[in-house]
Amino acid sequence: MRAGRIGLPMMLPALVFLCGFLVYPVLSTAINSLYHDSPVTGREYCGLDNYGRLLQDEQALRTVEFTFIFALSSVALEMVAGVLIALAINRVITGKGFIRAAVILPWAVPTVVAAVMWKYVFNDQYGILNYALFGDSLEMYRAWLARPVTARLAIIAADVWKASSFVALIALAGLQSVPRELLEAARIDGAKAVKRFFFVTLPLIRPALLVALLFRVMDAFRVFDLVYVMTQGAPAEKTSVMQYFGYLKMFPEQQYGYGSAVSVLVFLVIALLSVALVRTMGRRAVAK
Amino acid sequence: MTNRYGALVVMTLAVVLCSCGGERPQQEGTVVISVLTWRPNSPQTWEQAIARFEEGNPGIEVDLQTGPSSSTQLHDMLAQRLRNRDSSVDVFVMDVVWPPEFAAVGWALPLDTLFEPGERELFFDGCVDAVTWEESVYGVPFFLDAGVLYYRTDLLERYGQDPPGTWSAMVRTADSIVSGEADPGLYGYSAQMAQYEGLVCDMLELVGSAGGSLMRPEEPEAIRALRFARDSLVHLEGMSPPGILIYKEQESLELFASGGAVFHRNWPYAWAVCADSATSDVVGKIGISVLPRFPGGESVSALGGWSFGVSPFSPHPEESWRFVSFMTSPEIQRLFAVEVGKPPARRSLYSDSAVLEANPHFRRMADVFENATPRPRSPVYPQISHRLQSFLHEAVGDPESDVPEMAAEAAEGLREILSRAEE
Repeated sequence: MRAGRIGLPMMLPALVFLCGFLVYPVLSTAINSLYHDSPVTGREYCGLDNYGRLLQDEQALRTVEFTFIFALSSVALEMVAGVLIALAINRVITGKGFIRAAVILPWAVPTVVAAVMWKYVFNDQYGILNYALFGDSLEMYRAWLARPVTARLAIIAADVWKASSFVALIALAGLQSVPRELLEAARIDGAKAVKRFFFVTLPLIRPALLVALLFRVMDAFRVFDLVYVMTQGAPAEKTSVMQYFGYLKMFPEQQYGYGSAVSVLVFLVIALLSVALVRTMGRRAVAK
Repeated sequence: MTNRYGALVVMTLAVVLCSCGGERPQQEGTVVISVLTWRPNSPQTWEQAIARFEEGNPGIEVDLQTGPSSSTQLHDMLAQRLRNRDSSVDVFVMDVVWPPEFAAVGWALPLDTLFEPGERELFFDGCVDAVTWEESVYGVPFFLDAGVLYYRTDLLERYGQDPPGTWSAMVRTADSIVSGEADPGLYGYSAQMAQYEGLVCDMLELVGSAGGSLMRPEEPEAIRALRFARDSLVHLEGMSPPGILIYKEQESLELFASGGAVFHRNWPYAWAVCADSATSDVVGKIGISVLPRFPGGESVSALGGWSFGVSPFSPHPEESWRFVSFMTSPEIQRLFAVEVGKPPARRSLYSDSAVLEANPHFRRMADVFENATPRPRSPVYPQISHRLQSFLHEAVGDPESDVPEMAAEAAEGLREILSRAEE
């Protein structure tokens, strides 16, 4: 009883905050997406027309394609790299603090800064990648960001570099809760390192990895800054992602209604994926 | 403990209060007008101009706000403010492609009675057309830009070549020099072919000099020009650097100024950069000429440049106009021409001895400036530009591109954009 009476006023600030900064913007974007709205044509209700246009817009569909390629491949690579890094750090005995700090550094760098750095790495004239691969043979130098395949790989590589450390950090926390006795017992039973990893360590750190997976998937689908800094969608929209497309419609082109429809689409994709992932996690926890 | 927190609160408050009242102390009756411009290469020239204005106009103070140096980003910033009827900007610079949009949407004050027809005749027609929309003028031209061709006089002389008249002659000349020099760091041609606004300008010149138009990319003239750009400029071995598809003005100019290219397409400002030994290895070895054409076509230069507009939400339109009129006066256009090498929008300055002394190439370029070709004019230009950028970048960037099919798609996309804007 007491808790009920005092509960609401106690929650009020948090509720107001949530409504003001989360619910309202999402709703208002959703409502805007039902209008033709730009300074040139004025504002006019149009039902689902923006969504119909989006599904027929070939440039939009190209960005959906690369968003999925980017999210799936970068998250897969990050999970593998993250676990490997965590396993390696977990064995380090001297200088633990220093090595952990070094590993988390990429995650601490703001994405825009990292993107500028990678843009220089892949630069055709003074990029370190060309120098490392071809030395002084200038005629071999390539413009990595000018070709569709290498530009896509470059963006994925930059994301893997940055986000693997995040996965490693969470995996490391999971690894430290793995009881030594279990690994000892497996060793005495004659299990080799690979087997010990797949049958003892991995099942035990799986909950931690699912949390990392959830965060990475959500982040990867709303990628914007890497693309904005490194390629701006070039060549020919091959590296453009949904969020960048939405930005182009919303700001430089001033199509608020259409841009809002793109934002709502990104929101729906991320929401659906997150719900699916959270449910799988929940089910596994219950099964335990 | 409590004391320390107390001190912290006081300090925080003090910082907040100070930053709220941080504006310059004003005298009674002084009007402050805010001017938004791109981040200038030479802030001291702006300061000098503003100091002269304030001296001649006691009672008006100018607060210069600098935005990003990219035109697209400055457009984002300005549009955001004007859309919200923000009165914190009184005067702003407008890129040559903005006035139709600003006029249609009501983001720039019509200046018909202030910028009178007699006065307009003193400016280049192209610049005045650029600030005119549906019979009204919305800005006053400040300076203009037009694409020109730079070349290495030393290399052309060594191989007994003349500056080329046609694009294929340019490729032949470049080819013979590049193979003769056998230097892996030397390319034939450097230009702006990243997927951005500059690509539209570069391609407008190529397509236009074949007799085509960017708004009708499916026509044979445009297709011919784009195929030439793809096969002979971008993908011909040794003709352009591998990075040309991600080069904007700066990267392409750096290559030319470091001696890495025989020919270079850029705006007039590149002359000053190439003539300065601090930024250039080719001082005294460069010439300037009109851009090449296709046989049967005429040389075309894309029109660029900036004008000043006044915000309709400004509380001080009269003082704002005084500033615009001052900044576009012969005195200030001369200052910017001499100090920064900006081609003035006023015709008379092309026979001005101070301007010509600092920019000897202006004498021959006045015709190019007079006849520069504008980009498509529309209130929805940003949409048109993005559609064109995407099409052009793939058409010239992908060595196996099916240009006619992509051009047909782009033409359809352009028609759709225009019909949506009519609704």
